[in-house]
Amino acid sequence: MLESFYLTGWGAFGMMLFMLVPFMAVFFYVVLSKSYGDSSPSKAPQSSFVKMERAWIGLVIVVFVAVNIASIDFMPTTATAKAVASGEKITEVSFTAESWSFDLPETKIEVGKPIRFSGKSLDTMHGFAVYHPDGKVLFTMMLMPGLESPTSLIHTFKDAGTYTVRCLEYCGNSHHEMRDELVVVAAGS
Amino acid sequence: MLAATKILQRLPFFNRMFGVDAEDGLQEINSWPALMIASSFIWLAVAGLLGVAMPLIQRFELGSDLFYMALTAHGAALAFPFSFQLMAGISLHRAGGCVGKPITGVLPALIFICMNLGAALLTVAILLGFSVSLVVMYPLPVVGVATGQWSFNTLVLGFTGIALVLTMMIYLYPVQLLKMMFFGKKREDLILSERTLDDPGMLGMVIAALVLIVMGTPLMIIASYVLVALWGIIPLDVVAWATKPVVFQFAFFTFAHNLMEAMALMVISGIYATLPLYLADGTRELYSKRLANAALWILLITSFSSFFHHFITLLPNLPASLAYHGNIMSWGTGIGAALSIFTILATIWKHGLRKEPGIMIALMGFVIYVMDGASALVTSNVAWSFQLHGTMWQSGHTMTVLIAMSMMWIGVLYHHYPVMTGRTLSDKQGNWFMVLFTAGALGAGLVMLAGGAAGMPRRFADWAQGGWAVYGDLILVTGLLMAVGLIILAANFMKSRKLDEIPGSASAPEAAE
Repeated sequence: MLESFYLTGWGAFGMMLFMLVPFMAVFFYVVLSKSYGDSSPSKAPQSSFVKMERAWIGLVIVVFVAVNIASIDFMPTTATAKAVASGEKITEVSFTAESWSFDLPETKIEVGKPIRFSGKSLDTMHGFAVYHPDGKVLFTMMLMPGLESPTSLIHTFKDAGTYTVRCLEYCGNSHHEMRDELVVVAAGS
Repeated sequence: MLAATKILQRLPFFNRMFGVDAEDGLQEINSWPALMIASSFIWLAVAGLLGVAMPLIQRFELGSDLFYMALTAHGAALAFPFSFQLMAGISLHRAGGCVGKPITGVLPALIFICMNLGAALLTVAILLGFSVSLVVMYPLPVVGVATGQWSFNTLVLGFTGIALVLTMMIYLYPVQLLKMMFFGKKREDLILSERTLDDPGMLGMVIAALVLIVMGTPLMIIASYVLVALWGIIPLDVVAWATKPVVFQFAFFTFAHNLMEAMALMVISGIYATLPLYLADGTRELYSKRLANAALWILLITSFSSFFHHFITLLPNLPASLAYHGNIMSWGTGIGAALSIFTILATIWKHGLRKEPGIMIALMGFVIYVMDGASALVTSNVAWSFQLHGTMWQSGHTMTVLIAMSMMWIGVLYHHYPVMTGRTLSDKQGNWFMVLFTAGALGAGLVMLAGGAAGMPRRFADWAQGGWAVYGDLILVTGLLMAVGLIILAANFMKSRKLDEIPGSASAPEAAE
């Protein structure tokens, strides 16, 4: 469950709504009831405001800390470090990007095998976003020209199929045409 | 009569909306701000038309070049000559009335000229093909010349425009604000409502001005070197260090991120100053100055280094530790926002609220600001950043923060309008603007965030490619809602009534506070 929460755009959208919807409900209630309804001063003692202030700040801190700590396991940085530490053989996919195409090697990519994507840009800023066949973004990488080291991360595919690669950093008038494909095959095939 | 007053009087339509009274004794704090505000709304009209044009260009397949041109011009017009200039105009007027210092002389004139001339030059460059997006995407401007997308002269023109705009934002405006806060003789005849730095409504302004200067200076140094080389005054070899993408990008986003945070500090301070004036029991006090000031300080401290979240997906060129630092600092700004939320709600709950359009517009802007904040926190998380960076989520975030801040400023403008122009606005039209613009902005923001969650790329001329055209259509619908709201606002300004023509009007003295 946490995986679909942290590793999908819709999980992110859910988190955003988790913060926004209760806020809006309380905000509109307070503003509307205290302006269009009874706008007389509250009779609640100052101590009750202080208690509520502390409870609110405490709640915010707890939620913020919990969400960010729980996300650590799902960061590509963590997954990359774990894959390296496991000692499993890592398939290398080194590529370059230049307006407006990718130069991807024809490497066999298998389900369940860790793949290290290492990319460099040869001219301007480019992106390297891998889309699952169902349209979901699996990960995106920023490629900045002029850097000595490539942008790099390790990803392990779970499904066979044809994945679309798109540039997600605006790179000029044909940016939208800059795409390619990755074919992921079942393990052992 | 000040030059700004004369220019305003000659501006068709806008003289009716923002013309100031040259005889009321307040011209020195009204004229230049009013001219900046009028000019900002001209740019808003441009930005709004382009915003509506973008989905139409895609829907009717009018070409990717046209789309990217509209995209660049829309973003540039919305962010700088509209949003920033609106803020500059209202905040300078506010500062003038709070500390009793005139906004006259060369500096305000330069602020106005640099922003508008710079934005005009950039617009001309964009019309000549300089489609580099709002954030320049360096080194794209140079690569574009090499790949024949635009000419070298267009690049020089565009960069000259950007340099003028940056000069206004990083130095001229903050220096004018700080000059008024700390130097010069106070004039009692210009004081509308005296305030000190102890007041959260003033503190935020000073902090924001300092942020702009401190965080913008590295970019100004780099951009100046590049520009001087582009003009041919010094050889390009001499500025090789400044033209490295990593140098330019980091300097750019250090500033761009903190620019947004400075604008947030400025507008929150505007809300802190305005809200107490509309409390039902007449207390005129925030729930807690301590909490309000803490929110501003937390926002300031955490925003400095949270800009690293722009480069999370550059792994490992941005070390994981700095990526996580950017993550945590960004969520830290959320703590500051949480304190602001509590301060505003507790103030309203404790003292009640007068239901007047100005404060309601500002509060609805705050709702959109919180939506933007939530979207910003989520996309700053390292795990989510790898799914969202470069998608429409980011565009939704950028558009929402600009719209939210502008709406809050429009609310604050509603409050200052009578004293600035000697005229008053319609409550009914103000309420219609509030409802339509809030619905449109919330809708557009949510649609763009949802598009990003679905993988829709930002700055992308082919939404049909991944089945995202439906999001484009919804953006158009919500954009039109905002446009109708803005037309009503413009009509409201046009039909504003002179205070002395309204029998028993009490608005003038009230607004002067």
